Amino acid sequence: MRNTMKVAKWEIKRNMKNKSYIIGLLLTPLLIIGFMVISSFFDDSEEETSDSATVFVNDQLGVYDDMASTLEETGVSWDFMQTDLTEAEAQEDLENSEETAYVFVDQEGLEEGALSVYTSEDMDSFFMSEVQVLASPIQAKQIEELGLTESQFEGISQGVQFVEAGDDTATETSEGSLVGMDENPLQTLVPGIFGGFVLLSVVFTGMAIFQSASQEKKDKIAEIILSSLTPTELMQGKIIGYFALGLIQTLVSTVLLLPVFMWRLDEPLLEYLLVPELALYLLIAILGYLLFASIFVGIGATMADVTTAGNFQGFVMMLPFLPFVFIGPVLSDPSGLMAQIGTYIPFTSPAVLLLRLTTLEEWPWIEIGISLAILAISVWAFMKLAGKIFKVGILMYGKNATPGEIIKWLKA
Amino acid sequence: MDKMLSVSNLGKAFKDKQVISNISFDVHKGEIMAILGPNGAGKSTTIRNIMGIMYPDEGSIHFQSTNGKEIPRHRIGYLPEERGLYKNVKVMDILLYLADLKDYPLDKARTRALEYLKKFDLEGKDKVSVEELSKGMGQKVQFIASIIHEPELLILDEPFSGLDPVSQELFKDEIRNLAKNGTAILLSSHQMNLVEEMADRLFMIHRGKKVIYGTMDDVKLEYANFKCTIHGNNDPKQLELLPDVQRIEVNEGSTILYLDKDVNPNQWLKQLPEDLQILELKINRVSLHEIFIDIASDKNLLQEKKAGEVYA
Repeated sequence: MRNTMKVAKWEIKRNMKNKSYIIGLLLTPLLIIGFMVISSFFDDSEEETSDSATVFVNDQLGVYDDMASTLEETGVSWDFMQTDLTEAEAQEDLENSEETAYVFVDQEGLEEGALSVYTSEDMDSFFMSEVQVLASPIQAKQIEELGLTESQFEGISQGVQFVEAGDDTATETSEGSLVGMDENPLQTLVPGIFGGFVLLSVVFTGMAIFQSASQEKKDKIAEIILSSLTPTELMQGKIIGYFALGLIQTLVSTVLLLPVFMWRLDEPLLEYLLVPELALYLLIAILGYLLFASIFVGIGATMADVTTAGNFQGFVMMLPFLPFVFIGPVLSDPSGLMAQIGTYIPFTSPAVLLLRLTTLEEWPWIEIGISLAILAISVWAFMKLAGKIFKVGILMYGKNATPGEIIKWLKA
Repeated sequence: MDKMLSVSNLGKAFKDKQVISNISFDVHKGEIMAILGPNGAGKSTTIRNIMGIMYPDEGSIHFQSTNGKEIPRHRIGYLPEERGLYKNVKVMDILLYLADLKDYPLDKARTRALEYLKKFDLEGKDKVSVEELSKGMGQKVQFIASIIHEPELLILDEPFSGLDPVSQELFKDEIRNLAKNGTAILLSSHQMNLVEEMADRLFMIHRGKKVIYGTMDDVKLEYANFKCTIHGNNDPKQLELLPDVQRIEVNEGSTILYLDKDVNPNQWLKQLPEDLQILELKINRVSLHEIFIDIASDKNLLQEKKAGEVYA
């Protein structure tokens, strides 16, 4: 174990002194912050575009004030004013103006249910959908004209909507989730997202193990190292070292990103994060890491060079991306068959579990138990197998191992 | 002399091919023991089996310091044939890491590393990244790494390969020094001249089997017959007729006469004909190099003579 820790310490130190690691360490959170800033910049600029639009209303029904107040409520801030121009005059005027629209509210249009709108050529394409908000004050006018009582008016303006109905549990769940959503969706999402982030960072850092193992061969230092310790110690040291590096990455990102998120979203994210569920999420992430790390370290030891990866190695490298297949089905039905299958496949179970636990209100404890057991057994089995491959593969310089050879080593 | 390492009846096969068989030798404290042989003879396989990097199919390896089969990793220094260093790290960092893996105190390791870097003309390179070193410099750092923890047994697999003559001398001196100070040294090489100069004992291996084993003097006495080189214009036929001449090799302006094993050089010289043209005459023993070439090129001169012993 002492030797294992020495190797782990070395891997950490070596990477921490490596410029590209440090750049990556800081760049990941900075990129996320950068994207946030850029996207907010675009948001602002869109608002500016719609702000600059000028909308004239030829109001023959006396609803201009209602329309103006509706616009204010919805936050659309056009230059909104009345006009006496006729449709023909308006069209003429539009030929020489920019970002301008004319809306004609007249009795004829009201009866037909279609009001004419003329826009200048350069008008934003979203304008036609935005302008629909003006329909409600006109509808109200329509209803008023029908001479309905206040309760009748309320009945109509409430509208009708389709609500999913079914057995009691479904109703309960949807009610529950509605309540939960009302409370704050972030509260349940934050620990899950963090768990996912930890899983992603450690698995990605874990992929560096693969490089590290094959680099050991490329640099031909394996035999020198193995004169001081056993292959198992070297392998375990690498796995622990890169796990620590993944955690450092997570920590740095969290420290940099959390304040930014808290400021942007104006939510006590830290409070949401530090809940008991987080412990389980982290356990899942650690097991997921160990599984992939053992696979990567084993595969890395079979390759002379990262660039010479064969089909077999390439296929194995794709394993961490397998859970993406399940994201759609799991999100649409977190308790469905696909979700359950994903939970029981060791390569997908960490990500699928995290996704399900975050979206589900009631946790399926039995499934979680079985899944964790499968994961733990797989980790143990893959560590054993990786150990066998690593022992032989790490000394095979200058040549990739064929699947046949790997199977032979596994049998040995 | 203390036996630091004892190898007996070592055998190893890859698939159906027997790579080494029946290899037995000892390495003593303070001596330089050389394993010689052509490429592919089984030298590295033997060493890898000793280091526990491979496991022998037969035979046993005994280390004196652990009094058993367990490999005293911290007391062995090892320079493998296929060697390198991590590229993107500083020279001192890698030396300290390797010393740390051997449980050697780091402050002592640092002092020793600086001493050796200076000795090997690498002063001030301790903070330089390994990838900036030339190949020869890298070899020196690897050598320092193998001895930084003051090993009691040093195993060097082809330590001179790829070195320029100046560096070779440096390595040779240091290896001799280490032996003088009590380190047991096992080195493999195919550069006979170097081995001949420095080894106390040697073990020659060919096709995985022992060919010669003994002290350098014994080996020379036993296997290296005298040869006489005569510069001058002489008739080869006349030289062939001389007594105790096994065979002759005629070159332009000179002739080499290979003599029988039991020949007495004094008496033999007296028998040389008066009319022989001698511009220059040299009598010396056949070098290890020539024995080696004989064996490696399957001329089998030596093996024919010693067939009984070698393949008994």
